[in-house]
Amino acid sequence: MNIIIPIKQVPETGNVKMDEETGTMVRSGVESIVNPLDLYAIELGIELKEKYGGRITTITMGPPSAQKALREALAMGCDEGVLLSGKEFAGSDTWATSYALAEAIKKLGKYDLILAGERATDGDTGQVGPGIASFLDIPLLTYISKINHIKEDSLTVERLVEEGYEVLKAPLPALLTVVKEISFPRLPTLRGKQKAKKAELIKLSAEDIELEQGKLGLQGSPTRVVKISHPRVTRNGEYLKVIDEDSLQKAVMRFKDFLKEKEII
Amino acid sequence: MKYKGIWTIAEAEDGRIKEVSYELLTRGKRLSKKLGCELTSILLSNNISEEQAEELILRGADKVYLANAPELEHFIVENYSNVLIELIKKYKPAIILSAATTSGRALMPHVAIRMHAGLTADCTELDIEEDSNDLLQTRPAIGGNILATIKTPEHRPQMATVRPRSTRPAQVDYSRQGKGEIINYQYNQQLFDGRVERIAFRNDAEEDNIQDAEIVVAGGKGLKKKENFDLLNELAGRLNGVIGASREAIDRDWLSYPHQIGLSGKTVTPKLYIAAGISGAIQHLAGMKTAETIIAINQDPEAAIFKVADFGIVGDLFEIIPEINELLEKEGVK
Amino acid sequence: MKYNPVTGKILDQLIEILGEKNVLTDPAKLETYSHDETPIEQYGHLPEVVITPSSAEEISTVMKLANLELIPVTPRGAGSGLSGGAIPEYGGIVLSVEKMNQVLEVDYNNLMMTLEPGVVTNSVNEEIKEKGLFFAGYPMSVESCYIGGNIAENAGGGKAVKYGVTGRYIMGLEIVTPTGEIVQLGGKRVKDVTGYDLKQLIVGSEGTLGIITKAIVKLLPLPTEKVDLLVLFKDIKSAIEMVPTIMTRGGIIPTGIEFMDKLSIKKSCEYLNEHLPYQEAGAVLLIEVDGHKVQEVEDDAETIGELCLEKGAIEVYVADNRTTQERVWNVRRNIAEAFKVFSPHQSLEDIVVPIAAIPELMPEITCISKKYNIQIPCYGHAGDGNLHATLVKNPDTDMQEWYQTEEKALYELYQAALKLGGTLSGEHGIGSKRRKFMKELIDPVELGLMKKIKKSFDPNNILNPGKIFKLE
Repeated sequence: MNIIIPIKQVPETGNVKMDEETGTMVRSGVESIVNPLDLYAIELGIELKEKYGGRITTITMGPPSAQKALREALAMGCDEGVLLSGKEFAGSDTWATSYALAEAIKKLGKYDLILAGERATDGDTGQVGPGIASFLDIPLLTYISKINHIKEDSLTVERLVEEGYEVLKAPLPALLTVVKEISFPRLPTLRGKQKAKKAELIKLSAEDIELEQGKLGLQGSPTRVVKISHPRVTRNGEYLKVIDEDSLQKAVMRFKDFLKEKEII
Repeated sequence: MKYKGIWTIAEAEDGRIKEVSYELLTRGKRLSKKLGCELTSILLSNNISEEQAEELILRGADKVYLANAPELEHFIVENYSNVLIELIKKYKPAIILSAATTSGRALMPHVAIRMHAGLTADCTELDIEEDSNDLLQTRPAIGGNILATIKTPEHRPQMATVRPRSTRPAQVDYSRQGKGEIINYQYNQQLFDGRVERIAFRNDAEEDNIQDAEIVVAGGKGLKKKENFDLLNELAGRLNGVIGASREAIDRDWLSYPHQIGLSGKTVTPKLYIAAGISGAIQHLAGMKTAETIIAINQDPEAAIFKVADFGIVGDLFEIIPEINELLEKEGVK
Repeated sequence: MKYNPVTGKILDQLIEILGEKNVLTDPAKLETYSHDETPIEQYGHLPEVVITPSSAEEISTVMKLANLELIPVTPRGAGSGLSGGAIPEYGGIVLSVEKMNQVLEVDYNNLMMTLEPGVVTNSVNEEIKEKGLFFAGYPMSVESCYIGGNIAENAGGGKAVKYGVTGRYIMGLEIVTPTGEIVQLGGKRVKDVTGYDLKQLIVGSEGTLGIITKAIVKLLPLPTEKVDLLVLFKDIKSAIEMVPTIMTRGGIIPTGIEFMDKLSIKKSCEYLNEHLPYQEAGAVLLIEVDGHKVQEVEDDAETIGELCLEKGAIEVYVADNRTTQERVWNVRRNIAEAFKVFSPHQSLEDIVVPIAAIPELMPEITCISKKYNIQIPCYGHAGDGNLHATLVKNPDTDMQEWYQTEEKALYELYQAALKLGGTLSGEHGIGSKRRKFMKELIDPVELGLMKKIKKSFDPNNILNPGKIFKLE
């Protein structure tokens, strides 16, 4: 089974602090990591490979430094890393990104499955996975939480939707975007790291895959960011402190009255 | 032909139109008024009667394209996408709005790619730019820490998914009876792709849809163990709400993933959000800070959750919540 | 020991010295100052009054008054201690340094910083991070503890293998003596043998010899790169044997080497729902290396990892970014929490033995565990032989019985440590919690000298009385 996993390098926002006064993010010391939601796709890919054999190619579009993300995926157990890089990709929105990745994937040869994270934690659009499937015209299965069966030419999956889980059947090749429930990502091992460090990455430019200039980067992107603002999230709430029986009773009464004021009870 | 008019993508399930469809009409009405253009709802489903579709008219749509087909009974992205693309090519809307639901967020990118259209995800504000008449789409990014306003100057249609519950649903206005037009769309059978098949549905009875809930009672690491969610269950039950959780609680398997609220889970905008034993990591706030009212209960007075709370109790939740439950019981709240 | 109560008259005098808002008598507020991180029902005690002075001069006046009136004074930092050091066992005055929380100077030419005692330890690091510096006195409670308490307890933590404990970074102290004099000890001098090194005597004196009002601390270049290795071993012996090997054969001093026994790792992983293959492991090491060059740090990590595999480690996991590092450290950090879910009553210990003695110590702990039928997970800082053997009460044992069991089991635990050349406490201190074991377990000559030092500093025994030992 040949699997392709597109991933994204994102800023690690776990320890980000906000500057209270300016409402901006304190960026110093923020490192770049593999999009946490992509790890579930990577883990699923590795588990499938372990079960059915095959090869996993992970691909990313980004600056040369994004190779760190590819190497982390290789350390976990992917076989090959493809870096799509060049200044002509700068300013790509989800349309232009999907286009470039889809075209690159076509060049990579035959595949059975494309696995993607549900979305990236920075842009939070969730549009590139569906976008790639749309370009490649292969079945798109989003929000996948479980693979029930997989055969040579088809698979059955569960899709997490608002009301429950849909069971869908689709032919291969197909593209899946997966949610957290699908796997527990493994930690890279020393042996994995060593292998990843030595691995030769495939580096592709726009020219290598004969992309249309007009569809690349900012030029190919329909959307434009026109304004960035910093919302102030702080609300001036009232606080009560519980330290003894008396203050406990007061707080609980106030809780009830508050719900009444808000017409909840 | 010039692109004009606003479309909203209505959603239906089991022969019933979903509430988010009416929220989109609230958005659409405001924008169409500004542009002085027609507001159209697209309803792809099966067994939806014209009377049912009339409700979209009563709530503000001028026109409804209704397509009923067994292939459209459930959301299959390729089928929906193909029909929608044919409609777009034929009628050329300037703006298409869909809900940022599991179907909207799959359908819209699929369509936008093929139309080379601009698409903005999960918008919380929409407006029209004065001179250009372009759609201004504002959405939270980087975990809700910034708001980005995005537009599509050159490409049409302009597409956006809109965060569910970020606005009130449009109300029924009976004076609109007979003022709209319902068009039964005659689709081409070849539009149905047939590759993906929905073969079953598993409805987890206990899994409430936290995104639809008016009231969410959420717990975090401070709950200490799975069994302690009983406390929140009781409170949620009394308030007619549902329970949610922070990533840490989900990671510890105290509650299942559909309950996760935050950057790597769901975004909720309920009327009331109660956070118990949740410190308020930036990723969690991203998923709930647009709630109308927020109440926080936490041991640590420095916890970030208090910064976004309208009302906070600093103290031991294991003392406080049982007292609250008891008081509500006395008050006859369920 | 007979102390006088804090009367209305004394309260008036305190108000005169400190102002009304710095003299707290509201019972609800006093409660906060009646305990630290030790179990409140076992060690807690209410003060009669809490004062929050803002200068050494005020403290000096208070100490003179306390000597005159024979009122005990207990100095207090953030209250994150684990031995009862800041608890006013005899009531009287709790002197909280919370309002003395200024960074007085950052001296970039000498790479030193002058701090008031109420500065939160880690906030220092926030302040100097951009200049590429850091303060290495780094206990596990770094996010909450005050620098004053950190020094008074001579705290250790997870980075001590490479950086040592807090005392190593203390260059100078200003203290108020128990009798109320203000004195400067040490200073910005790297070398100083002018008489006894009294500042190092104050370090780790648990607030019994003086009240720290100012500290000059040494800063180090901030390591920018860090790699963690989580290594699974089949048994404790092979894990512990790695510790000296890393330094001798590897030629590397890691930042820290944390150890977790089978019981600890199992409970923590279950609690966190962590899917690492921990079931196979008899012991786990968490090894951290840091430095300034990516390549160097990666190479060091690789060298250590290779040595571990060579010595039969089951698996070596590598965490070189914040996400994965947080994941591996979560396993270590959540052990106590995981056991609290099982039983909220624990006795968190910090015995210390020569590193090589750890494998010998473990069967002894197993023996104690079996004998008293309690779980004793063992984890901590293997790299410096400092282990958090933690006695966990069975949920169905009643409290009175537990206290008895705890005392007996602790006694045996300490004895086991001593027998192997170890001692009672590596980083938490004696305080009131371990005092009862000092008499039998510590050399009487040494204990006698300690008492004489105490008496010469504090003739009326009013500063934090009852801590470490009782003066008869």
